[in-house]
Amino acid sequence: MPMQLWLIPILPLAGFLINGLFGRRFSKGIVNAIAIGSVVLSFAWVVKTLLGVDLSHPYSEKYFTWIESGAFRVDFEFTVDKLTAVMLLIVTGVGALIHIYSVGYMAHEGGYYRFFAYLNLFMFFMLTLVLAANYLVLFVGWEGVGLCSYLLIGFYFDKKYCTDAGNKAFIVNRIGDFGFSLGLFYIVTHFGSLDFQTVFAQAAAKPESVLTVIGLLLMVGACGKSAQLPLYVWLPDAMAGPTPVSALIHAATMVTAGVYMTARSWPILTHAPAAMQVIAVIGVATAFFAATIGLAQNDIKKVFAYSTVSQLGYMFIGVGCGAFSAGIYHLMTHAFFKALLFLGSGSVIHALSGEQDMRNMGGLRKKVPWTYMTMMGAAIAIAGIPPFAGFFSKDAILLAAYAQSPWIYWVGTITAGMTAFYVFRAMFLTFFGEYRGQGHPHESSPVMLVPLAILALLSICGGFLFRIPEFLASVFQQPEVPENTVLMVISTLAGVTGIAVAWLMYIAKPGMADAFAGSVKGLYTLVYNKYFMDEIYAATVVNPVVNGSREVLWKGVDVGVIDGAANGVGDSAREIGGVLRLFQSGDIRSYATWVLFGSVIVIVAVSLAGGIR
Amino acid sequence: MNLLTVVLLLPLAGFLIALCIPRSSPQASRVWALLLSLATFAASLGLLAWFDRGLAGAQFTVDLPWVSTPDIHFHIAADGVSLWLALLATFLTPICVLISWRHIQKSVKEFYAFLLLLEFGLVGVFIAQDLFLFYVFWEVSLVPMYFLIGIWGHERRIYAAVKFFLFTMAGSVLMLVGIIYLYNRAQTFSYPAIVDMLASGRLAFRPGEEMLLFLAFFVAFAIKVPLFPLHTWLPDAHVEAPTAGSIMLASVMLKMGTFGILHYCVPLFPAAARSCAPWIAVLAIIGIVYGALVAMVQPNMKKLVAYSSVSHLGFVVLGIFSFTQLGMDGAVYQMLNHGITTGALFAIVGLLYERRHSLEIKDFGGVATVAPWLSTVFLVTTLASIGLPLLNNFVGEFLVLQGAAIANFKWAIWAALGAILSACYMLWLYQRVFYGEAGAEVRSHVPDLSLREWAAVVPLIVMMVWMGVYSQSFLPPVGKTTAQILEQSQINVPFRVSAPGRERFFDAETQRRGEQIEPSDLKSFPSVSPRLRVKDALEVANAH
Amino acid sequence: MPIDLMPSASDLIRILPEIVLTVMGTLLMLLDPLLHKRSSNAFGHLSLLALAAALGATVYAYAYEGTAFGGMIVVDGFATFFRALVILVGILTVLSSYGFLRRQDAATSEYHALLLFSIAGQSMMAASGNLIVVFIALEISSISSYVLTGYLRDDPRSNEAALKYFLLGSFATAFFLYGVALIYGSTGTIDLLAVRAAATGQSGPIAAPLFLGLAAAMLFVGLGFKVSAAPFQIWAPDVYQGAPTPVTAFLSTGPKAAAFAVFLRIFMTAFEPGGGGWEPLVWCSALASMTIGNFAALRQTNVKRMLAYSSIAHAGYVLVALTARSAVGVSAVMFYLAAYAFMNIGAFAVVGHLSGKGERYQDIEDLAGLGQKQPLTAALFTIFLLSLIGVPLTGGFFGKFYIFKAALESHLVWLSVLGLLNSAVAAYYYLRILVMMYFREPSQAVNEVEPLAPGLRTALLISAAGTLFLGIFPNWVLDFAGQSSTLVK
Repeated sequence: MPMQLWLIPILPLAGFLINGLFGRRFSKGIVNAIAIGSVVLSFAWVVKTLLGVDLSHPYSEKYFTWIESGAFRVDFEFTVDKLTAVMLLIVTGVGALIHIYSVGYMAHEGGYYRFFAYLNLFMFFMLTLVLAANYLVLFVGWEGVGLCSYLLIGFYFDKKYCTDAGNKAFIVNRIGDFGFSLGLFYIVTHFGSLDFQTVFAQAAAKPESVLTVIGLLLMVGACGKSAQLPLYVWLPDAMAGPTPVSALIHAATMVTAGVYMTARSWPILTHAPAAMQVIAVIGVATAFFAATIGLAQNDIKKVFAYSTVSQLGYMFIGVGCGAFSAGIYHLMTHAFFKALLFLGSGSVIHALSGEQDMRNMGGLRKKVPWTYMTMMGAAIAIAGIPPFAGFFSKDAILLAAYAQSPWIYWVGTITAGMTAFYVFRAMFLTFFGEYRGQGHPHESSPVMLVPLAILALLSICGGFLFRIPEFLASVFQQPEVPENTVLMVISTLAGVTGIAVAWLMYIAKPGMADAFAGSVKGLYTLVYNKYFMDEIYAATVVNPVVNGSREVLWKGVDVGVIDGAANGVGDSAREIGGVLRLFQSGDIRSYATWVLFGSVIVIVAVSLAGGIR
Repeated sequence: MNLLTVVLLLPLAGFLIALCIPRSSPQASRVWALLLSLATFAASLGLLAWFDRGLAGAQFTVDLPWVSTPDIHFHIAADGVSLWLALLATFLTPICVLISWRHIQKSVKEFYAFLLLLEFGLVGVFIAQDLFLFYVFWEVSLVPMYFLIGIWGHERRIYAAVKFFLFTMAGSVLMLVGIIYLYNRAQTFSYPAIVDMLASGRLAFRPGEEMLLFLAFFVAFAIKVPLFPLHTWLPDAHVEAPTAGSIMLASVMLKMGTFGILHYCVPLFPAAARSCAPWIAVLAIIGIVYGALVAMVQPNMKKLVAYSSVSHLGFVVLGIFSFTQLGMDGAVYQMLNHGITTGALFAIVGLLYERRHSLEIKDFGGVATVAPWLSTVFLVTTLASIGLPLLNNFVGEFLVLQGAAIANFKWAIWAALGAILSACYMLWLYQRVFYGEAGAEVRSHVPDLSLREWAAVVPLIVMMVWMGVYSQSFLPPVGKTTAQILEQSQINVPFRVSAPGRERFFDAETQRRGEQIEPSDLKSFPSVSPRLRVKDALEVANAH
Repeated sequence: MPIDLMPSASDLIRILPEIVLTVMGTLLMLLDPLLHKRSSNAFGHLSLLALAAALGATVYAYAYEGTAFGGMIVVDGFATFFRALVILVGILTVLSSYGFLRRQDAATSEYHALLLFSIAGQSMMAASGNLIVVFIALEISSISSYVLTGYLRDDPRSNEAALKYFLLGSFATAFFLYGVALIYGSTGTIDLLAVRAAATGQSGPIAAPLFLGLAAAMLFVGLGFKVSAAPFQIWAPDVYQGAPTPVTAFLSTGPKAAAFAVFLRIFMTAFEPGGGGWEPLVWCSALASMTIGNFAALRQTNVKRMLAYSSIAHAGYVLVALTARSAVGVSAVMFYLAAYAFMNIGAFAVVGHLSGKGERYQDIEDLAGLGQKQPLTAALFTIFLLSLIGVPLTGGFFGKFYIFKAALESHLVWLSVLGLLNSAVAAYYYLRILVMMYFREPSQAVNEVEPLAPGLRTALLISAAGTLFLGIFPNWVLDFAGQSSTLVK
């Protein structure tokens, strides 16, 4: 019997339509009911479905043909397997929590209904992405979540920096999608289809070169969506959006779409080792690079933003090293603790009525105890301290990395240390020491704290409750990675060290941080300014393109050359006319001469031709 | 006197009657134009209802002798492509009437008369089955547009109108030479007859001859499309034209060019078309990227949209010359999409102009705060135009690019850049016009949509979503026709040159070739070198 | 052959149109002292009557197809076509002259008399089968048109134009006459068919090609001048600009049509066998005429002058059809001249209507805003201009279409391409007039313009109707032309 999978995404869509069209006239209560209700319902439907179907093999539902041309066809088709199941639960679950949290967080904001409408729309697209049974439907969700991210980043659309960030996000993602779509074209030209089943079935038989090209092109897409080098630049700016958005879209779900997509494409990747290598390298590079930037940020959300980039890097290490399940594992745990970190910081910001700079915080652990405690749970989790969630997933990845190529493991471990450091740096700066700001901090309302609590619970025990690798073992045929206690200990120690250093610098010996920063001035400024990446992009890409288009293409080629030529022809024609006019002297004698002249020409011509035969 | 004839002649009748409406009552002219255009649209819906989707060939044929020497017929019919394009015209005309309701205050009667005459010409161009008749409609549609721009346009309207007329004229006289020459060769103007003769080999061109004929037609069409570098008349025409003019020009008139290429150049001169394909594709791609880049830096909204049209039409041409089923289907679909989407863009820009009396982007900002619905509608249109899935343009662009990728992967790579750039210029436009703080001018002058304006834009939005989600309502008839055209385009062309054969996943033989593909050749589908093609064409031509 | 001095009835019937016109012309002059005080329009009415009668006579004469006066007059479809055409031109001219003459308060009797004589001459040209008759008819037509050109005595432009036209005209006529002489010298006959026979050697030895060639050249000069073809177009702009506008309209259509008729007769009948010799000549002349006419017109600001140049260009188009040297070409010429008559008279009539007293307003700027002041006039003018551009559904378009079709059938590809590109260039200056009429605010001239006089309105409506009719139902005229074109030989 059909499972009506379509209900899962359609419910939030309905919510979006209702709120979007009539929300303005609704009271907040109704808006909440519709927005949250739709998401909770779809969560419920997910659960019902997962209980209903046998996940050991994929279950699909085809609704209608979307595009058909010649022998090529794309259907609107949804499918559920274990991988989908995990994603569905994360998306709807965390999504629901964040919806609830937003009720409190957005209570005093304008465009309340608009916010929830967008969130619902996001849920629709994200669920479509996850449920897709072929690359094109996945691409629908892929682009759709990008749109929602654009809309929500630019939610305060009267502030230019918000809309700028929105555009940046969309356009950088478009650059990624450029690669992604080329990947799709390449798949079609070689497989004649975009259905996961068909493509994956043929994958093994295809030449490695083709698979490599496809893998790399898909990775370009993933780099955009999941903010990997060199396309990560949009994510930090994306923090301009309301904090719940940062939590839901830019930490827990959307940005992990790239990981999901690459993991989903494992049958292609496993036969394209070169591509895997590249993915792993990009992952580790991003993880390390972003972590270093995270060390020196003062905006609490920026810290977590770069941390997100870094953690996504981890996930790609997993994918790149063939430990797809580990990647997904970390995706899940990260969804828990990073969402929590963001929501927590949101609660703090809320408490300080908008303050985001950690230099103006401190000592808040008394003022906002609940927020403090929940966030601490998340912090320990991300630091990778057993038995918290982060430990298991990060460990799984690092082990796989070691099995592949040890150096990745080592870099990863160092990164883990840095991660622990900057997260706890943030914690200490925010909650310990003396309060350095002016406002009167107040604990947030229960409606915000309950989601925090639940996420805290998940961050703490999500790791060993949901053993994703075992669960997904049947999905990905991947080499069993041997347990290695030594490595486990090392990476854990790295985390502990990080925490210790942070404690030393910001609790034990305040001021030491500045002294250290001073000692490595150049490096510090470099890191503090995010390696001037935005500036470099602006100087090397954006400005040349824009100015070049204006001065060279438009004013030069278009107006100058082409139009110039066209008008030139016209003018020269009129010039000729002017010349011809000169013959009309009006003087009759000259006219007579002309006639005579003409006659002579004619006559001579004919005689030369020898008359007519 | 079948339904198609009715659809064609209703606007003409409307035009003649509109001329008789006294100047003193402009409202009467408006109402008349609205009623008549709606009636025409209703009639064309009838066409849709009775169109047999099972058939590939043209339907609703009417063939009456008109002139005996030379043998010219009033011969019209609609196939899967022309049907939709004709519908596009009849669909947009009432919208133009509504949009112009308040915008046009000067000599209202003439305006609507010309609008109806324009509709007559446009519908005729798409359904004419007689080359001479086609040329007649081609020119007839030129005149009303010339007046629409020249009389009701903005400051530099005269320059724009004359430029528009002369550019088109220059191209069409060459086409006239081609048409007459073709007649002297085939002794008929009937399109189906000529196609048959070519298919049966009763008519075959020498390569050089075919190439010249192809160019004679192609240049005329390329100017109309407009294909880079023949596009410079377009921005001027668009900026100066009144809203309705811009809509009809962009949405329907430009399609005359692409339709001509698909319907005449390709089937009538296949060998020449194929041997030119690489160069034309390059021009199309240049158009895509170039148009987008130039659009990005325009300070004037209409100019921006105009250049974006250059970019979008590039996709259409690329799709056609990919010589693949997907490419051609996509091209046709993209014609319709561009009609809807760009039509909507111009409509809303027109509404903004009515309110703020400026087209300069810098005079706007913060419109979203004062006119949320207007902004929402424009946002949806923007998203459609940048090819967001589930909206119409995506389907077309995807098919075109896929077709291009099959023909030559390099083409797809370059053309896909257009998708990035379109996001850049449209979102930047949207940000500067609708986001930000609303200035005093905007606050006081920009109300939200009125009921009449809703009536004008909602159908467009509905179409965007419908065509984006359920292309099945539209694509099948198109596919039938394009398949036929592709088949005709095989004539005189050795099979190994034919693109569909290259869709390697269709036949096992090519599948196997797929195996030995080296990473080195990303261009795994090189189009056979032009010289070679002409040679082949030559051999075949001589064979006949 | 001996010509018996007492002409037979059928002979007289075959020249009935000319007789009618001449008699009525003379009558008008005699009536002048009696009538013109009371109503100056009376002469107009009378000449209309005369022309109507002549038209009837033409049709009647067609019933008696054949030659008269021992082959000096040939009445065939071809002749009838051109007779009817020039008479029609006459009617339109008269109709459009009423208001004009009143405005210039010029004497009307001589005007109409001269008009009738001129038309008589032209219709005789159309029907002449003998070079001397051609010459006489040509002179009748020309001399009256010289006088008509200078008809506005107190307008210096008019006088100067008349002088130029006269001097240069007689200059060219001299060439023509010399050509005739050469032919007689080389073939011993001036009867066209006989000349043909001589040229092909059907009668005795073949005539010396060089002499025939020189003769052809001379005739070409003479006729080329009349049709204002390059390189003999030089007089046209000044004359057309200076002459009273209705006369200009007349000159640019009637005499031109007649001259082309003769052109066809002589070159397609007498010289056809030697066509190889004169084709390049006409080829060059055609191209030159089109190019000079169109390009020079681009820069004109005086509407009459612009139209003068355009008429040079149109002569060029007709020559293209001549170059084709085929029956199709001939019928194309006939059709084109008919269409051209309608659209050009119409256009000039409007210009004359606007020019005001003393023809003050001839500048293109003076047309500004006509569309608002006199929608009907502007609309009709638009039809004429679109036809001159060659937009479909107008006679001008089909005219061009047939001409270039004929040219392409004779494989004159490049001449056709260049010709059609020329017509694209031409579009520019015709469009300028449309721009003025519709895209500009009303000018002084337009504000002064008086409502359409009934005569003029009729003329314009007839012309417009004719233009559209030829554009939508070209067959009627074309078929007739087609049949008669085969009769030329």
